[in-house]
Amino acid sequence: MSKVTNPFGRLLIHLVLIVFAIYSAFPFFWTTLQSFKTFRDANSRTPLFWGFTPTWENYQEVWLRSVPETGGATLAFFLLLIVVLLISALIFAKYIPVPDSIVYAVVGIGFVILLWAIPQLADVSQFYDYFINTLIVTVGTIVVSISIGCLAGYGLARYAGLLGVIILISALAFRALPRLAFILPYFYIGTVTGLNDTYFLVIITLVAVNQPFTIWMLRSFFMEIPKELEESAMVDGASRLEAFVRVIVPIVWPGIISTALFSLLLAYNEFLLVRLLTQSNWTLPVAISRFTGGEDPRHLTLAAASAVSATIPIMLVILFFQKNLVKGLTAGAVKG
Amino acid sequence: MKRGTFFAFSSPSIVIMTLLMLIPLLMAIYLGMTRLNFQNVTSPEFIGLANYVNVLEDEQFWRAFRFTALYIVMVVPMVIIVGFTIAMVLDQVSVVTRGIYLSIFLLPFIIVPIVGSLMFKQLFEASGPLTYLYQEIFDVRYRPTEFSVKAMIIFYGVWYITPFTLVVYFAGLQTLPGDLMEAASIDGASWHEKIRFIIVPHVQSLTIFVLLFCIMDTYRVFDSVFVLSDNLNPIYRANSIMTYTFQQATLVQNLGKANAMAIITVIGILIVLIPNLYMSYKEQIAER
Repeated sequence: MSKVTNPFGRLLIHLVLIVFAIYSAFPFFWTTLQSFKTFRDANSRTPLFWGFTPTWENYQEVWLRSVPETGGATLAFFLLLIVVLLISALIFAKYIPVPDSIVYAVVGIGFVILLWAIPQLADVSQFYDYFINTLIVTVGTIVVSISIGCLAGYGLARYAGLLGVIILISALAFRALPRLAFILPYFYIGTVTGLNDTYFLVIITLVAVNQPFTIWMLRSFFMEIPKELEESAMVDGASRLEAFVRVIVPIVWPGIISTALFSLLLAYNEFLLVRLLTQSNWTLPVAISRFTGGEDPRHLTLAAASAVSATIPIMLVILFFQKNLVKGLTAGAVKG
Repeated sequence: MKRGTFFAFSSPSIVIMTLLMLIPLLMAIYLGMTRLNFQNVTSPEFIGLANYVNVLEDEQFWRAFRFTALYIVMVVPMVIIVGFTIAMVLDQVSVVTRGIYLSIFLLPFIIVPIVGSLMFKQLFEASGPLTYLYQEIFDVRYRPTEFSVKAMIIFYGVWYITPFTLVVYFAGLQTLPGDLMEAASIDGASWHEKIRFIIVPHVQSLTIFVLLFCIMDTYRVFDSVFVLSDNLNPIYRANSIMTYTFQQATLVQNLGKANAMAIITVIGILIVLIPNLYMSYKEQIAER
C-alpha cells in the first residue's frame, strides 16, 4: 500500500507499533524482572520496576540442588563462555575456513558433551533432568517426524491418484480434531502395555499428532520444485530415491527447516500429552506447571525463574531461524 | 509417479497415522461405551451408550461448552481485527525496521503456552503491575473471580494467537498488486475506500484460512485455562471442554466418560469441518 508521507502520520505509525511491541513483550519482561528479585521484593505492595537488588538465587534454586561453596561463579562463567563460543561458531560458520557441515557437526557434538559434563561438575536439580528430557523428546520428534514426513510429502506431491487426495483430506481432518480424542486412547494403550513414562511412547505419539501438519506443509514445498529436476537425474541413471535425496532435498532444505521449526515448537510446548503419558519423565511444561497455584510466596519467583529458563533456549533458536518461521507461517496461507 | 512408488515413499507416514490416529479414534469410540477407571484398565466393562447419554445430561459439560463457545466468539474476531490492523501499520515501515518489530511481535507465539499463561498470571498476582493498576483505577483490591479469570483466559488467547494472524496478513499484503493501488489513487480513492474495495477482497481467501485455523485451535483451548484457573480450581468454574474432559480422566478417574466426552467434542468440530473438508477435496481433485 502507498506509504503515508506526512510526518505526523509517520509518528503515529511508529507509536502504534511501539505500543503493540510493549504489549507483546511486557509479560515476558515483567517475569524476567521478577525472576531476579528476592521474594520480599517480588511480593512488594507496589510493583518494583527498579530499586531492587538483583539476585541469582531463584535461578540457583531452580537449577541446582546445592550451591558449591567456592568457585561457583567461575564455573558458571566458564560454562556460559563455552555456550557463547559454540553459538558464535554457528553464526559465523560461513567465515570459518572449513566446510559448514563440519562446523555444525563439531558444534552439535560440543553441545552434547557440554550437556553431559554439567551434572559431573555441579550438583544439578531435577529441573536439569526435565530439561534433558525435553531435549530428547524434541530432537527425537523432529528427526522421526521430518524423515517420514519428507518421504510422504514428496510422494503426495508427485502422485496424482485419488488415493493421495483421500490421504490428504483425512490428514486435514485429523489435524482439526481435539487431541484428547487421541491422547486418552494413547494413555489407555500405554497403561495396558506398560509403555507409559517411556521416551518411546511420548516421541511416537508426538510424531503421530504432528504428522498431518508436517506432510501438508512439506508437500506444498515439494510441489514448488519442477518434476524435470529429478527426471533428468533419473535419466542419468539415478534411482528415484537417489534423485530425491541428492537433488530434491537440498533444494527444499529451507522449507524442511521451516517445517522442523513447527515440530520443534509442538514438541517443546506440548503439555497435555506429556502430562498424561508420563509419571516422572516430565518435560519442562509439565514440570513448570507445578509452580502454578499454591499460596507459598516463594513460588512466585521460582515460577518466574523457571519460566524464563524454559523460554531462553527457544528464543535463541527462533532468533536464528526467524525467516524460516515466518516463511512457514505463510507457506500454506498465501497460496490460498 | 506410479502407485507402487507412492506407497514406497508414503507408507511409513501412512502406517503411523493409521496406527496412532485412526485406530485410537475408533478405540476412543469403543472405550466411551465402557465403564473404565484406573482399577480395571485391562478389563473394561461394556455398558453401551450410557456414558454418552451421561455426558449430554451433564450440566458441567454444557457449562464448559458454553465457555468454550464464548472463548471462540470473543477471541477469533479480535485476533483477526488486531492482526489485520497491525499488519497494515507494519506494512508502512521500512524493511529493516519491520524485522525488528516482527521479532518482538512473534514473542507471544514462541513462548510455551504453559509458560506464557504463567507469565500472564504473574501480572495479576498480589504484587503484579496490573493488579496495582486495577487498584489505582477502581480503588478496590483485585480478587480473582469467575468473571475475571475468564476474562484473563480470553485476554491471554488474544495475546497468544494475534502473531499468527498478523504474520499471515502481513505476507498477504506483500502480494498486493501495486498497479491496482496506483490506479485507485489516480481515480481519487480515499484510504478507507482502498481498504474496503481492494485490500479486504484481496485477503479474503486468507481470512477464510485464518478463520478455520483459529476456530480449530480455540476450540481445543487447554493450557491457558489449566494454568489461569489455578490447576482446575473448581471455585472459578472457568472450564473449557478440554479441561473438563481432563478432569474427568484424571481427578474423577472416569476414563469411560472422558472418552465419550472426547468423541462428542470430535462430533462437535466435524459440523464446522465437514463443509470445509469437502471444499478442500474439490480443490485437490481439480488441482491434480
